[in-house]
Amino acid sequence: MGLQPINPYKRYIMVTVKINGKEITVEDNTLILDAARDAGYEIPTFCYQADLMGIGSCRMCLVEIEGQKKLQPSCVTPVLHGISILTETPTVMSARASMLEFLLANHAMDCPVCDKGGECELQDMVYKYGPHKGRHAEPKFKFHEKDYALSPVIIKNSNRCVQCMKCVRVCREVVGRNVLGALGRGDHQEPTSFFRSFLDCDADGNCIEVCPVGCFMRLPYRYKTRPWDLKGADTICPYCATGCRMVIEHRDGEVIRARAQLGVGMNSETLCARGRFGYEIINSEARLTTPLVRRQRHGTLEPATWEEAFRIIKERMPSLGGNTVGGIAGARLATEELYLFQKLMREVFKTPNVDSGSRWDAAAVEGFIAATDMAEGGVSVFDCMEADTVFVIGSQVSEENPVTEYIIRRISAGRRMNVIIAGPRAMKLDSSANLLLRHYPAAEAALLSAVILDINAAKLAASADLTAAKDAKLDGHLKAAGLTIDDVRALATKLRNSESIAIMAGTEFLRYPHGIESLNLLKELLRSLGKKVRVMPLLDRSNQRGAWEMGVHPAFGPGYVKAPAPGLGISGMLDAAADNSMDALYIAGADPAALYPDEAHVKEALSKVRFLVVQDIFLTETARLADVVLPGASFAEKDGMLTNQEGRAQIIRKLLPPPGKAKVDLDIIRALGEMYDRSFGPKNAALVLDEIRRAQPMYADVSLAFNNKRNVDNKLDNKAALVKGTKAALTIRKFEQAASGQDAQYPFMLATGNHLFHSGRLTNYSKTLNDLMKGMTVEISEEDALASGLAAGERVLVSGAGFSVTLMLTVKKGTKRGVAFIAENFDAAPVNRFFRKGKGAPRVKITKA
Amino acid sequence: MEKILLKNLNNPDAHKIDVYIKGGGYKAFEAALKLQPDNIIQMVKDSGLRGRGGAGFSTGLKWSFIPKDPTIKKYLCCNADEGEPDTFKDRGIMDWDPHLLIEGMLISSYAFGASASYVYIRGEFAFGAKRVQAAINEAYAKRFLGKNILGTGFNHDMYIHCGFGAYICGEETALLESIEGLRAQPRKKPPFPALAGLYGKPTVINNVETLACIPAIIERGPKWFSSIGPEKSPGPKIFGVSGHVKKPGLYELPMGTTLRDLIYNHCGGMLTAKPLKAVIPGGVSAPMFTAKDLDTPLDFDSVAAKGSMLGSGAVIVMDESTCIVKMAHIINRFFSHESCGKCTPCRDGSPWVTNILSRLEHGDGRPGDVELLESLCTNIFGRTFCPLADGAVMALRGAMKNFREEFLYHEKHKRCMV
Repeated sequence: MGLQPINPYKRYIMVTVKINGKEITVEDNTLILDAARDAGYEIPTFCYQADLMGIGSCRMCLVEIEGQKKLQPSCVTPVLHGISILTETPTVMSARASMLEFLLANHAMDCPVCDKGGECELQDMVYKYGPHKGRHAEPKFKFHEKDYALSPVIIKNSNRCVQCMKCVRVCREVVGRNVLGALGRGDHQEPTSFFRSFLDCDADGNCIEVCPVGCFMRLPYRYKTRPWDLKGADTICPYCATGCRMVIEHRDGEVIRARAQLGVGMNSETLCARGRFGYEIINSEARLTTPLVRRQRHGTLEPATWEEAFRIIKERMPSLGGNTVGGIAGARLATEELYLFQKLMREVFKTPNVDSGSRWDAAAVEGFIAATDMAEGGVSVFDCMEADTVFVIGSQVSEENPVTEYIIRRISAGRRMNVIIAGPRAMKLDSSANLLLRHYPAAEAALLSAVILDINAAKLAASADLTAAKDAKLDGHLKAAGLTIDDVRALATKLRNSESIAIMAGTEFLRYPHGIESLNLLKELLRSLGKKVRVMPLLDRSNQRGAWEMGVHPAFGPGYVKAPAPGLGISGMLDAAADNSMDALYIAGADPAALYPDEAHVKEALSKVRFLVVQDIFLTETARLADVVLPGASFAEKDGMLTNQEGRAQIIRKLLPPPGKAKVDLDIIRALGEMYDRSFGPKNAALVLDEIRRAQPMYADVSLAFNNKRNVDNKLDNKAALVKGTKAALTIRKFEQAASGQDAQYPFMLATGNHLFHSGRLTNYSKTLNDLMKGMTVEISEEDALASGLAAGERVLVSGAGFSVTLMLTVKKGTKRGVAFIAENFDAAPVNRFFRKGKGAPRVKITKA
Repeated sequence: MEKILLKNLNNPDAHKIDVYIKGGGYKAFEAALKLQPDNIIQMVKDSGLRGRGGAGFSTGLKWSFIPKDPTIKKYLCCNADEGEPDTFKDRGIMDWDPHLLIEGMLISSYAFGASASYVYIRGEFAFGAKRVQAAINEAYAKRFLGKNILGTGFNHDMYIHCGFGAYICGEETALLESIEGLRAQPRKKPPFPALAGLYGKPTVINNVETLACIPAIIERGPKWFSSIGPEKSPGPKIFGVSGHVKKPGLYELPMGTTLRDLIYNHCGGMLTAKPLKAVIPGGVSAPMFTAKDLDTPLDFDSVAAKGSMLGSGAVIVMDESTCIVKMAHIINRFFSHESCGKCTPCRDGSPWVTNILSRLEHGDGRPGDVELLESLCTNIFGRTFCPLADGAVMALRGAMKNFREEFLYHEKHKRCMV
């Protein structure tokens, strides 16, 4: 099967089989279906899907094997050496037609009103394989009269079901929610939720995507169009750095569907709720459609022409800015735009102050890049999943990168391997893990240091003094992390016993950078023990890696080449601004006012910048403080390239023009540059890409070739798209752990990150996603809820030093005691108000509201 | 003939362990514990015992597929999900002689090294389940079950698992799914249960009657067993006779007894003066025989040679007053109702067939119905995931082969011939 990871320790035996007389050689145990498809013969299927366990139930794929009386299901039957398979005999063809006849017997036959009409696999197959005359003249069994909603995004009509069970299997095997199953038996069997109840699930709609017929349907898309009236563009989901391939489609200028395709992209047919239902932000009424300028100091932002906006910028933004000018670009811009952005800052404004993102400290970023080997080129997640042990740390991957999580779940279920998860909060992927370490927030450093000590114990045991010192240190680490020695030993043993290890390191290392050094140390230590170690970053912004690789960072330029004179990162620029020494700041696609940890500080700093230009697609918290606001374009409105967390460069295509007078960000940046320097360029995305390829060895021969074809083989890992390695001199700075001491008054440590249904603040403009969320929440462990007499669903007051907010309580089984979580995505509950610059994880208390 | 399997059928206290032991019970188990496990497997192989659940696969051979590695946990499952209409042979053993079953299971478990066994009992057999559970409790008390059984170091636990009313659980892999707490649907094979069965471990699934044969084989030797009945399928066999005979009931007879002998000698002949019209030799999925086939010996091979199957040994006798279309409808209604829903031909094909038969039976036949039925049979047979729908098709095909004119009469005249 295409998805089985190649195991280097397994010997591959090749066998020769005949398919319709054609002799082919395939790996032993290949399914007949795969072998036949390889040989170029088409075999229709409903229930088969490469990434799901075969059940062989639809019987569409029956083939003849010479010498066997019965037809065999090719989707679950492996080849045997020497067999002769016939896939196109009259018997096989009549079996196919008869299966379709059976499926149609109880099928609703309501194609004229079915959303799936026109792209329905049942329609296509009946058209192709017959029968073209119906013989069924008995009353049909009906599951129900009216369609019923299963969730705010799923509506169901069981009368159209072909019982392939892909919905149930994708929910269980890939998504891991396991909320679908079948009711009844025989022709009354109905795959649905528990007694058709309303689902409380991840709402990712993968059940809809895998449904071959119109049984599971998108509720927001319902009755809006016929598939042939849609115009689509291939793109990448912009909501995390997993980099899922998808197609967005519009009718009459309104984007009404995002869908993934089987075998296309590393995600194949899967997406999460954000990707599949978050497209509404493109159509949002709140989009910026015209430049806004503040004509008087302390005045309001008023619509203006591009000429006026640019004139004001030219007047107030000194071209030879040097250290008093800075630029911050968001990690959701395309790679070409980010490249041009840093070029604009460095070459036109002559400033080294350039950074990307709103949350991470520049020095932390540099260390993280070094610790995760990003400069050494892309690391495919599929390669990581071939390791003996996968160690996920510093990421709530089930919520931050749902599709990466699907891949971990799916592959780890199919082979013997360790999945180790370290993190303060319980998550869905825990069920795939064979070791869980629940540590306090911001305690990655302590956990990793303890493991390093344990792995090194043999070396240290030689000297009694060292052992004593080690024990004392170990105790300190264990206490800081809230772990026991057994937890750490279990982890150390698993690492020691593995030959290959993949570490997936998440953004907690950027939020609390003192863990970076330990991460790097562990990596080096394991390598010194002769282990094959791969590190893959888990990032939460679609083009974060692209931004760094394009040199949107004060310490290095494109390709991680050290900048001649390092400039200020975001923290430095904000500090300087607070000191009244920033003349101008150009922020494109970033929202530090909403996301920088320490809201008071960032707002004060931004208001003291003498001239603030913000370019975005919505009037963000930051844009409200700007002197000039430039309307940019969303991912649906531009051509470009995004680099995902693995270092996979992928292209996005323009579907629609930007709304109103808004412009593509690349054009805005270039026009700005041209205002100061007529030769600033290159002039379009393709030329910028050429320049990147020339200037940046990592991208020199990355293949962006993309074949949008339904690919039944599921060969998802396109290694040609991974960026290449480069030589980079990056330093890992030592960070002091910010004290986050015990405080009886504030018993909870506050953790933050992305909500499953949101990415940054952008997705707040999607009505569907907001509806799914059912309000803003704070999450604590079950034990804490019991101990404090609080129940899930209750309104609670979360108060920290200086800020308090009322939220709904959610309770999670398995989360570390003493940990509270508030997502960073809520406009009305800005979690960054709890944080203080340089103070570590804040402490809060939770009481009944 | 001496009764082996049903010897305690008329002994009201045989379900009590003391009575059972007094009658020589558990002797065979004690003897088996002194033998090498491999020898027991060889003895069962030599005896020629074939599975009594219907397929007639060699029991000793089935056991020998189990890996010998002692570090791997192994299971024995007893298939007591006797749910087919007119089949009632296993409940006789469970209700009246549960210790015979337990002893058989213990010997089998010891032979291939199973550390636990499950008796999967049809949910409707509440009395049988109660009896078997009580017997298991008694066996634990007497140290025939549990840790270090009779001081030999052999450990074994036994559980009962009651079904919930699904005939498909009699299919061995669906039975495993059901024990595991999953939806009872057949699993794909390979892997066969002998390698990856219950909870992914090597598992043997045997019928109640098969296991009940084991103690006698140990006690009296394989030669004795194979001397009963024909060479290829020897041994005693329980026949559950129902229908238009004077004395329906359970009959333990040697394999190879002819149908005529069974019906006219043992069962006392036809119920009334009406002559025999048809007889189903092995459960409702077996194609019907007519009066001309009455001299067929009832053993696996002879019945198969005549185009039917011995199956579970449920013999259903029908006289001239029986409408074959009605019979076919009842049988197909059962199978389509019991279809698990997994594969297309069974799920959507069987109810279609049943609907047509229902119309024929109720005077609403349409021209072409019989032809359509034959075509549907072709489309279903051999293309399903498990043999459930095959059974329905075989029964219907058998009926249509021998009594086609009745079906055509129903189609044309919209009423019954008889």
